[in-house]
Amino acid sequence: MTQPIIVPMDLWEEDVEAVISAWLVDNDSGVTAGQLVAEVMVEKIQYEIHSTADGIISIISEADDVVNKGSIIAEVS
Amino acid sequence: MSATKKLTIARAMAESISLEMRVDPKVFVMGEDIAKLGGVFGNTRGLLAEFGDQRVRDTPISETAFMGAGVGAAMDGMRPVVELMFVDFFGVCFDAIYNMMAKNIYFSGGNMHVPMVIMASTGAGYSDGGQHSQCLYGTFAHLPGMKVVVPSNAYDAKGLMTAAIRDNSPVIYLFHKGLQGMGWLGNEPAAINQVPEESYELEIGKAKTVVEGSDISIVSLGVGVHHALKAAKELEKQNISVEVIDLRSLVPLDREHIIASVKKTGRLIVVDEDYHSFGVSGEIIASVIERDHNMFKTPPSRITFPDIPIPFTRPMEQWALPSTEKIINECLAMMEGK
Repeated sequence: MTQPIIVPMDLWEEDVEAVISAWLVDNDSGVTAGQLVAEVMVEKIQYEIHSTADGIISIISEADDVVNKGSIIAEVS
Repeated sequence: MSATKKLTIARAMAESISLEMRVDPKVFVMGEDIAKLGGVFGNTRGLLAEFGDQRVRDTPISETAFMGAGVGAAMDGMRPVVELMFVDFFGVCFDAIYNMMAKNIYFSGGNMHVPMVIMASTGAGYSDGGQHSQCLYGTFAHLPGMKVVVPSNAYDAKGLMTAAIRDNSPVIYLFHKGLQGMGWLGNEPAAINQVPEESYELEIGKAKTVVEGSDISIVSLGVGVHHALKAAKELEKQNISVEVIDLRSLVPLDREHIIASVKKTGRLIVVDEDYHSFGVSGEIIASVIERDHNMFKTPPSRITFPDIPIPFTRPMEQWALPSTEKIINECLAMMEGK
């Protein structure tokens, strides 16, 4: 079963876009639930994105891509 | 083999400091916005929560005061890690740095160590103007009494920070903003690499050959290493074999490593984002030539920042900065034997 990694709706307060500043795992590598996998930046403040499941991660949004709250940035299968 | 994980330079620095703080109660951190915010470049994130506000101290905006305090604390037995937010701000606190921190071990006849680390951000590329964009590598490396290190990736960043904190000499730790993994400052995926979870030291004063080659030696540091690696990849398609050397440390400078490479290739290009004249690039070229000028097949050359204040406006700033394209063009010209 595929589990999406979604930018949490409550990660930051304002209604603004974010940028993925870094992926801390390789595409197609193994991840575990709760593992820090990426950082996103909103107006110079950095937030952490964690994996939602155990499995192999497939990255959808690359570093430097603009994302929003609710964006699916990767999938874990 | 211990576990590793991928880290940004920012996280690698914070992890190294944290591991040292756990085992050595003398280590503490201070600077502007390093506690509650975790550093404007992310390199002290998590430290306040783990160690509290006695050991992770936000300071007033007075570099003069807290650099002096750092020197005093270090001479009194502590091991302060002090952040100078932008290296450009050194002007107001340089007396504490180069007259006290760097020299007190000598002035005291070897009796008073000053085991202090100053970490400072360097570099341009994101339009922050001439007082927030400099590298000033040569400025610090020129003055005796301080070690100077410049990591280009997370693995080196962690090992060099551990070594810097444990060193009894003062160490200037210069990290390039464009390599921090901080989005708006630039993005260099190759700086984010696998880092062991445990503590380890990287010996200060050792350069590293990142890519081996036989035609041209490119010597660089910080973000320049990444420009050079991209150029090497492009030039490989044109059958030009480039060797890329990451200095990692300016003081001590690993001259033997550079000389051995130029002996092999006969060609040398230094890539340095610091100003062109009176700096790192000139020192490296002089160091090789004074050993043996006969090893050169072509005159050495350098790709540096021109001797002008760094422009704010993006087209002018990008025009002035070293780049992969400039390196490729210089290599091609050199191979044509200009």
